[in-house]
Amino acid sequence: MAIKERKLTIARAMAEGIAQEMRTDESVFVMGEDVGPLGGVFGNTRGLFDEFGAERVRDTPISETAFMGAAVGAASDGMRPVVELMFVDFFGVCFDAIYNNMAKNAYFSGGNVKVPVVLMTSTGGGYSDGGQHSQCVYGTFAHLPGMKVVVPSNAYDAKGMMIAAIRDDNPVIFMYHKALQGMGWLGTEPGANVHVPEEQYVLEFGKAKTVREGNDVTIVSLGVGVHHGLKAAQQLEDKGISAEVVDLRTLVPLHRDHVFNSVKKTGRLVVVDEDYHSYGVSGEIIASVVERDVSILKAAPQRVAYPDIPIPFSPIMEQWALPNPEKIVEVCLKFNI
Amino acid sequence: MSMKVSIPLELWDGDSDAVITTWLVQDGSQVEYKQLVAEIMMEKIQHEIHSPGNGRIAILRHVDEIVGKGDCIAHLS
Repeated sequence: MAIKERKLTIARAMAEGIAQEMRTDESVFVMGEDVGPLGGVFGNTRGLFDEFGAERVRDTPISETAFMGAAVGAASDGMRPVVELMFVDFFGVCFDAIYNNMAKNAYFSGGNVKVPVVLMTSTGGGYSDGGQHSQCVYGTFAHLPGMKVVVPSNAYDAKGMMIAAIRDDNPVIFMYHKALQGMGWLGTEPGANVHVPEEQYVLEFGKAKTVREGNDVTIVSLGVGVHHGLKAAQQLEDKGISAEVVDLRTLVPLHRDHVFNSVKKTGRLVVVDEDYHSYGVSGEIIASVVERDVSILKAAPQRVAYPDIPIPFSPIMEQWALPNPEKIVEVCLKFNI
Repeated sequence: MSMKVSIPLELWDGDSDAVITTWLVQDGSQVEYKQLVAEIMMEKIQHEIHSPGNGRIAILRHVDEIVGKGDCIAHLS
């Protein structure tokens, strides 16, 4: 008998994963701004307050400095906090707790203090929310040792990553893109809503996934960029170009072998990243290939990333700056395959 | 026998329109009574649409379409 399809949005998949872990592990609790009765401004804690109450689903004041520090303290003392930083852009006021405490205390203590925080945070723009609500800053977090960094592109991965993150003894930064949450006003990507099993399952970190097979060019991306890559691959197929699309899924650990092997097959690489162009994920992915063997390349690797500018509020200017399928197609056509 | 999947009149106060944000089932798939089938959003508040019965669903109104209270958004047969 066929299994009944049960599609979820990433928002629902995250909430379901958290709820299932909260039922089986009393040390798991949630805190952040508007995660309680509202269910999170991006919907990812809906239903938790009704089931678990105000002690375990805690609305915080608007002070990331205070509650990020509290999360580190609680985790160091045996709890497993899932703490929400509503917009990743707000990391500035709490980065001491994140980087100097959460990421390093296990090391400083010789492994005696574990800090199993899950920091979930929204990324990305596209809906004109200005330069202080629209960044991805994947590279900023992935650059700093001591934290795992995961970026789901669909609901199945999101649930498995959330459960894996909660069970992990290391801090995990769970970065979800707003356009994939199924919230209409943030843009909607139907491809992120996929079948999600009801039972608990874990997605192993450090395993990239080829989401479309191809022979001529490898498009590597993460989060919403995977969907841009898939749309570009479809358009390229009509032009006789066979594109492979790789979803990184986790930045730390990074599955460099998977990227390398795909590029070895196709000989061409395009990295798509909504984070800033310079000093970021796109450069790191290219380095993963060229440091190992430059002879597999048939052309210089390319990137479709965010220009090194503050994100504009104006819709016309913001849309001009964002990566999209058309830009990926344009880059691929220049390979003259 | 056909049954309408409609936006419940009591879902929110006032007469504001909403937008369909997500269909959680495929067009033409089999759905069950009370199953969550869609999400709609009204002024940044998300509401759930549940199936009023068992049957095969034919989606009439799609993602990003504006809908009002009482609108029929799908048929069950």
